[in-house]
Amino acid sequence: MSNPSSVNLFDSRADLSMAESPLAFSMSRRNVPAAGADSRVVLRERPFLGHLILRGGAIVLDEAVREELGINLPGRPQGLTLDASGERSIQWLSPDEWLLIVPGGEEFDLEGRLRQRLGDASFAIVNVSGGQTLLELEGEAARELLMKSVVYDVHPDHFPAGKGVTTVFAKTSTILRRPSDTRWELVVRRSFADYCLRWLLDAGEEYAIGVET
Amino acid sequence: MSQVNRLARGGRIDRSRPLSFTFNGQTYQGHAGDTLASALLANGVDVVNRSFKYSLPRGIVTAGAEEPNAVVQLGASEASQVPNVRATQQALYKGLVARSTNGWPSVQRDLMGVVGKLGGKLMPPGFYYKTFMAPASLWMTYEKYIRKSAGLGRSSTESDPDIYDHQHRHCDVLVIGAGPAGLAAALAAGRSGARVILCDEQEELGGCLLATPELLDDEPAEKWLSAVTAELSELANVTVLPRTTANGYHDHHFVTLHERRTDHLADTAPRVNGRRQSRGRMHHVRADRVILATGAHERPLVYAGNDVPGNLLAGAVSTYIRRYGVIPGQKLVLSTSNDHAYRAALDWAEQGKDARREVVAIVDARANPAGELVEQARRLGIRVITGSAVIEAKGTNRVSAARVAKIDLEGFRVTGSVEDLSCDTIASSGGYSPVIHLASHTGARPSWNDRILGFVPSLVKGVSAAGGASGTYPLPEVLADGREAGLQAASSCGFEAATIELPRVDVLSEGEACALYQVPHEKPTLRAPKQFVDLQNDVTAAGIEIATREGFESIEHVKRYTAMGFGTDQGKLGNINGMAIAARCLKRSIPEVGTTVFRPNYTPVTFGAIAGRHCKELFDPERYTALHDWHVERGAEFEVVGQWMRPWYYPQQDRRGANGKRESMSEAVARECRAVREKVGILDASTLGKIDIQGADAREFLGRIYTNKWEKLAVGKCRYGLMCKDDGMVTDDGVTACLAENHFVMTTTTGGAAAILEWLELWHQTEWPELDVSFTSVTDHWATMTITGPESRRLLAEISDIDLDRDSFKFMDWREGRVADVPARVFRISFTGELTYEINVQAHFAMHVWKTLFSHGEKYGLTPYGTETMHVLRAEKGFIIVGQDTDGSVTPEDLGMQWAIGYDKPFPWIGKRALTRSDTRRENRKQLVGLKPKDPTVVLQEGAQIVFDPKASIPMPMVGHVTSSYYSPTLEAGFALAVVKGGQNRMGETVYMPMADGTTHEAEIVSPIFVDPKGERQNV
Repeated sequence: MSNPSSVNLFDSRADLSMAESPLAFSMSRRNVPAAGADSRVVLRERPFLGHLILRGGAIVLDEAVREELGINLPGRPQGLTLDASGERSIQWLSPDEWLLIVPGGEEFDLEGRLRQRLGDASFAIVNVSGGQTLLELEGEAARELLMKSVVYDVHPDHFPAGKGVTTVFAKTSTILRRPSDTRWELVVRRSFADYCLRWLLDAGEEYAIGVET
Repeated sequence: MSQVNRLARGGRIDRSRPLSFTFNGQTYQGHAGDTLASALLANGVDVVNRSFKYSLPRGIVTAGAEEPNAVVQLGASEASQVPNVRATQQALYKGLVARSTNGWPSVQRDLMGVVGKLGGKLMPPGFYYKTFMAPASLWMTYEKYIRKSAGLGRSSTESDPDIYDHQHRHCDVLVIGAGPAGLAAALAAGRSGARVILCDEQEELGGCLLATPELLDDEPAEKWLSAVTAELSELANVTVLPRTTANGYHDHHFVTLHERRTDHLADTAPRVNGRRQSRGRMHHVRADRVILATGAHERPLVYAGNDVPGNLLAGAVSTYIRRYGVIPGQKLVLSTSNDHAYRAALDWAEQGKDARREVVAIVDARANPAGELVEQARRLGIRVITGSAVIEAKGTNRVSAARVAKIDLEGFRVTGSVEDLSCDTIASSGGYSPVIHLASHTGARPSWNDRILGFVPSLVKGVSAAGGASGTYPLPEVLADGREAGLQAASSCGFEAATIELPRVDVLSEGEACALYQVPHEKPTLRAPKQFVDLQNDVTAAGIEIATREGFESIEHVKRYTAMGFGTDQGKLGNINGMAIAARCLKRSIPEVGTTVFRPNYTPVTFGAIAGRHCKELFDPERYTALHDWHVERGAEFEVVGQWMRPWYYPQQDRRGANGKRESMSEAVARECRAVREKVGILDASTLGKIDIQGADAREFLGRIYTNKWEKLAVGKCRYGLMCKDDGMVTDDGVTACLAENHFVMTTTTGGAAAILEWLELWHQTEWPELDVSFTSVTDHWATMTITGPESRRLLAEISDIDLDRDSFKFMDWREGRVADVPARVFRISFTGELTYEINVQAHFAMHVWKTLFSHGEKYGLTPYGTETMHVLRAEKGFIIVGQDTDGSVTPEDLGMQWAIGYDKPFPWIGKRALTRSDTRRENRKQLVGLKPKDPTVVLQEGAQIVFDPKASIPMPMVGHVTSSYYSPTLEAGFALAVVKGGQNRMGETVYMPMADGTTHEAEIVSPIFVDPKGERQNV
């Protein structure tokens, strides 16, 4: 193999001119409402971001992440930290699992740099960029829409900005995060993305949900 | 008909807003603020239903959720039908259409009435069990008529035009019931800062305050009520849900609240700004603390003829008069065991004076009643008959007289002569029962309280009951009880208790009530006219007595034998009386007899509200691959495989089949099969589970989890693996590739992906945490396109930079490179037996690659094929599908896969030990074989049972079954895979499949590999 290390490092990203977002099918075929003045909640897809799953011990990973991205690995459960630009984030998923999201195209180099820093430590990094997409929700009714969709308590007392959880979404699951007071993010698996969109548009009808592209 | 019973003044109805509605085809008028029941009573409608078993006429009894009779079928059109609606809870709206639930063919005159009249003798308790159980074969016939004549509503045969939804809510304190206790509790918890949800099933908050004569701070209750309601609606931390019933109390303070959002507005939910709104909403509430402020239900007395229309609860009479401005009759007789019920007579006398209504008498079971209400009644000149009770109501469609006599409470007998009082209404009260249903849902058994003569709820941790629900009835105590519960709940959630001033209430002192449930009759219970205990299920006192005589001593058995407390009613009105009667017959006390368990739902919930939006296209998630759009464009028929929408086959739109119609499935599959065997086909295999495995011990882990060996698999190579559960039975299979020394990618079956990932995590986390390995699903990251067939190499070569030379890229190798300019990992593995390349690319780029393959593929005859063709092709090669050819009782050896078992591996892999058990070693196990039907045109039925001797007597010894069966265009014959006892040693023998239609198919046992047994085609 070209890569002499113990894992196969493979940049699966191609030129975006050849890419299709996970929601391309629904966006082109369904009667997707555009965001308007009366929309109390607005939905946006942020496709083609770099998604990496980090597995390993928190202390080891924390050092590498801080050195590469300048942000702390959230050590506490359900933590979400963002860099100053808000473009790079890392989220606690389970005691030895974190989700790193970076601007699309950065993920392969970042994986290589992290691997170099981590050296012989026990860890794993997996590129899952093709397997998930990010949906943003904004607007005064976003929380109510979430209450119709996820089991988790999304009250601001219980879900402040800087928190992220994995929870039940309708009949599937989602990663739900709140990067700021006004914005919610759903990280959904590619194959469930159409179902999630369909659910959100249906549940959001009473709030005049609109999609911004 | 005019509203003959409508009072000129009073009540919370809006007389300036008349509303017309239809009941049983006749049009009536009511007012805004009415319930259907109050409007029917206002119009003098006596008979609203026919009873369940005896088909007797029945009228409205209560003013609330406990109503057993006025259960109606709602809906103006077939599509909007709603069954089991209690008229006492249904707000009136313009154009409401309702029908009686029972009464076939009509409520006034019906066929069943005849049976009902004879029914006393014909239908004892246990009637259905005794009469209709034999002959068993006729039960289906009986059932149809019993159901039709009994009937408790029906659901629509058309699609519901409305939508329903769910909402998840979380709170510190959930307060159920917004009467005085609930309001005080919510206010106390809300002001303390807790997140509070307050729900109430009625149209308005207030509970008994909506009809009470008592003054709060010297003002009508209305004033305090509106002040509190206003404050609650302004507190941001308080959510108020009117028209919302707590229908079920589940584990861990998970309570479902059924909100009826538009049932009070119209037949179907009106649109808002052109957008749909849900008719019903189910709130899934997870609360930290729950306060049950559900109040108490009044108990009717059990006396002969107590089911004749015109028999009402005393409290209901007051409620209709005070809240709805309806006086439900002309002449009232009140039969009571307590002071509180005197209010009904006082209200009747005072409010009905102008309408010339009369209180004939108050019949009090106590010898010397002496409370302030009693004195009030005497001052008004109402005749009070003491030490007596109404022992029988006369009348058919309406009460015509009350038979009153002195009774001996202790001796349970009538002691004096009987006086007939002419009247049309009998109100009765036997005391009050705390509404313990929700507490009962938690599994806590209630306990009997002698002071209040009722069961009070036992409470699991975190629940409290306040006010009537805990057996506290005087208003000032109820308010204080609610406040205390609210403050305690808030402070146990960590909030500092706020100060709450309660209004001052002067209460009239009430004398002690006596215990009276069933009223004695001159005749013994079994001979007296029917004394109803459970009006909805037609259970009588005699029925309970017979049940106890027949040996049913447990109250749970009595319930099931008599049907007491069944149905929509759940024993709200009758259960305590029933228990008291059982106790009397068994010569025990009520607490010794105990109670039955009330179950969810408290009142019926529509299916729509339960389903929410999980219906139609949102019923179940549909998972799409990155190529879904193309499949849809191409006109594929889809098959659901573990939520994935997989192309099943691609019928050609422009191609007419043999019969001149659009290509059929078998024609399409035959064409697709031939394309693969002769040219090249392409399959979207993205749905296969893919798990990325990294770590220094990844290889060791694979060796333990799979049955076969992995230590020597070189980087760049792939291997088929077989996975067993610890019982030695095959659970999954798939190809795993060695990507690097410490890096593998495992494929699993489509349906098994999530479960296998959990299986790996389970073993790693619980048994072998010392292994350095981790697993991550990459199923969605990679899209997989399988090109297969003799032309696949030439096609791929056109658009890939990978060296495809047969000697450098061999069967079971994988390589990386570019395909259509997209980075790809290509695996040379085969599920068809043909030369095959599985192209894996990041899913975002899959459509580009797929389309590029097609732009180059036409000259090679590139043909998309679906799962059906995949199944035929793999079966021709004898490749199994886990879950189709296996069923959790098949070992690798049963499959003839000894080559995939590493018995000599150093570490005992999962399932190894089980494969040494005597059962897994025995000779005669069912083993995988091929079946070749003697008649090549026959395609055997999958699932068909196999026998060795078709002439054996029935039941024939069954020796196996067909697991997969298809028509093979390559063989031009039907063929099948099957499991047969000892099959691997029976090659060449004949087996038989007797079919349900009497025919018997014959087949020869052959090798399961039908095409290319040496595997030459995939190795080219």
